[in-house]
Amino acid sequence: MAAKTKRKHYWGVDCGSSEIKVVSCDQSGKIISKTKQKTLFPLIEHVKRALSDSPFESDDLTVRNGHVITVTGYGRNHLNFASHRLTEIKAHHIGVRHQTDVSGTFTIIDIGGQDSKVIQADDDEIRSFVMNRKCAAGTGAYIEELAHRLEISLEAMSGLQKKHDKDLVLNSYCTVFAGQEVIKILMQGEKVENLIHALYMSVVKRVLEMTVISSDKVVFSGGVMNYHPALLKIFRKQLPGKKIILAKDAQYCGAIGAALYGLMHGDSV
Amino acid sequence: MSDVKEVMKRYFLDLDAASRDPRRLVAWCTSVGPAEILRAMDFEVFFPENHGAMLGASRMSGETIPAANALGYSPDICSYLTSDVGACMKGVTPLTKAYGIKNVPRPDVLVYNTNQCKDVMHWFEFYSRKFNVPLIGIHSPNHLSNVEKWHIDDVVAQFKNLIARLEALARKKMDVEKLKHTVALSKKATDLWNEVLLTGAHKPSPLNFFDSTVFMGPIVVLRGTEEAVTFYKHLLKDMKERIKAGVASVHGEMKRIYWDGMPVWGRLRNLSELFQRHRACVVASTYCNSWIFSAFDATDPLASMAKAYLEIFINRNDSFKEKYISKTIKEFAIDGVIFHESKTCPNNTNSQYNLPGRLRGNGIPSVVINGDLCDLRCFSDEQATNLIEAFLEMI
Repeated sequence: MAAKTKRKHYWGVDCGSSEIKVVSCDQSGKIISKTKQKTLFPLIEHVKRALSDSPFESDDLTVRNGHVITVTGYGRNHLNFASHRLTEIKAHHIGVRHQTDVSGTFTIIDIGGQDSKVIQADDDEIRSFVMNRKCAAGTGAYIEELAHRLEISLEAMSGLQKKHDKDLVLNSYCTVFAGQEVIKILMQGEKVENLIHALYMSVVKRVLEMTVISSDKVVFSGGVMNYHPALLKIFRKQLPGKKIILAKDAQYCGAIGAALYGLMHGDSV
Repeated sequence: MSDVKEVMKRYFLDLDAASRDPRRLVAWCTSVGPAEILRAMDFEVFFPENHGAMLGASRMSGETIPAANALGYSPDICSYLTSDVGACMKGVTPLTKAYGIKNVPRPDVLVYNTNQCKDVMHWFEFYSRKFNVPLIGIHSPNHLSNVEKWHIDDVVAQFKNLIARLEALARKKMDVEKLKHTVALSKKATDLWNEVLLTGAHKPSPLNFFDSTVFMGPIVVLRGTEEAVTFYKHLLKDMKERIKAGVASVHGEMKRIYWDGMPVWGRLRNLSELFQRHRACVVASTYCNSWIFSAFDATDPLASMAKAYLEIFINRNDSFKEKYISKTIKEFAIDGVIFHESKTCPNNTNSQYNLPGRLRGNGIPSVVINGDLCDLRCFSDEQATNLIEAFLEMI
């Protein structure tokens, strides 16, 4: 990943639906800093705040002092100060390549706050990708909504899932209807632990039905995997024979990819 | 100079005048229905699908679809239908703002062809009940691999029945020479439209899909008329001049895209700008190509009309569609395909039976976006933008 132009710092901003992640790297691609904060609005104000540790003045984010800002995530088209923009698909591909030693043919599964993506790649090339359809099934939003219904913190969920002793099924694609299923199951006296397992199973199924995964290696990225380690165990069971890899700093893969993209492209737009 | 707005304005104003003239009869016809027969019988022809597209493009559908839903027409069925029926319920039309026309013309007869879908039958049944006017359907053999003689014979027999009923309604006989002339005009117009679309094969392309969805107005509503022939002669001349002058539809064209499925009428401009920003040009589409009727032959008007209207892309099986798209991709040097999976138009959605997967197997990259022709409740701007941008990055 040779830089076209030599610069001091390259900033990657992943403006996701739940959190804004900011990463910086130096000219060698070494990650210098990682920060995150909740996505709030007005978006640009909060992105500026997220970049407050950077050498940019808060009221002027134009590229200067040899620094380059590259943005990705759903908010990318609303951040007019960026040197570069790229989609999360490409950003996660670059980030995963940096954060793992994966090579050859591999699949990236990125479960994000409001969408999930399955990316099939060969080394430096993305071959194809799919995203979840319009609804939130198979995304972090689905988990968050049902956690809210169950009044359980996101952090506690994986621990509770370990105690499940029954396989229940949540059928609905629709988060609201799944909420109704949850209430019905609770009324029948089922354990919350079993419901959480069913919820995770539902997310895994929604992701795996998006496409056929033909590669032997599957890399996971995205913030949801960081918050819910139980998901990785379930994916491992559902994808027997495949090498399952969790990217280091999975939540930051998009921001890392963005920073490295800036490094590759310099300040040329 | 080809001025599509002026051509469409004259068409609608004349139709409006006809609706107020008791000596002139108005027929409503589906967009790939037998318009030539109606025109040869001196009916003025109104196309509700065109009205549906106008409701979508003007985003009036957002107000009219719920009215049809409330009446009992499901949000899952054709949103041309629900847009149009809802507009009827609310007594509104985009023709008012565009041309100062208060209402769509009242029909004297309704004629549909199920070569595109069966929703048109339910749609026209609504109006038959509402206006208490005759409803005549052509029930086409569907999803054909090849168009066989018996398919054509079947439809010709139905055309003859249609003519007999129209003769009774109009109280005059069909003039066969006039029908031949009308079919000849349709043939000229559709051949010219085909030539216009083929200019998209030039690099850089002088036109794109989003412009073509507007340019196609006359081939939908004015088939069988001199106006359509004149318009497409001028349009073809314009396109040839653009090619000669090196004028690109998308400045700095770098990627060439095929669009499959319906347009997202309420987002034409946004999508056009999105592709422009990425220097990608949608140079060909299933949708615009659907009004190429090569089989028209004035020497055998009914059989050639039957063949032409059976041969349309939407009425073919997946094997034909795969070959057709693959061939077009080569002819137009296309880099990738965008499949629009239209929630309420499964018949004009070709991504649901793994056609994208089969094309990918042949080295043709594609992406599927979820949306709808008129119902923007089924379309996510962010999701679609993300998918299209990622796809353009990838190819």
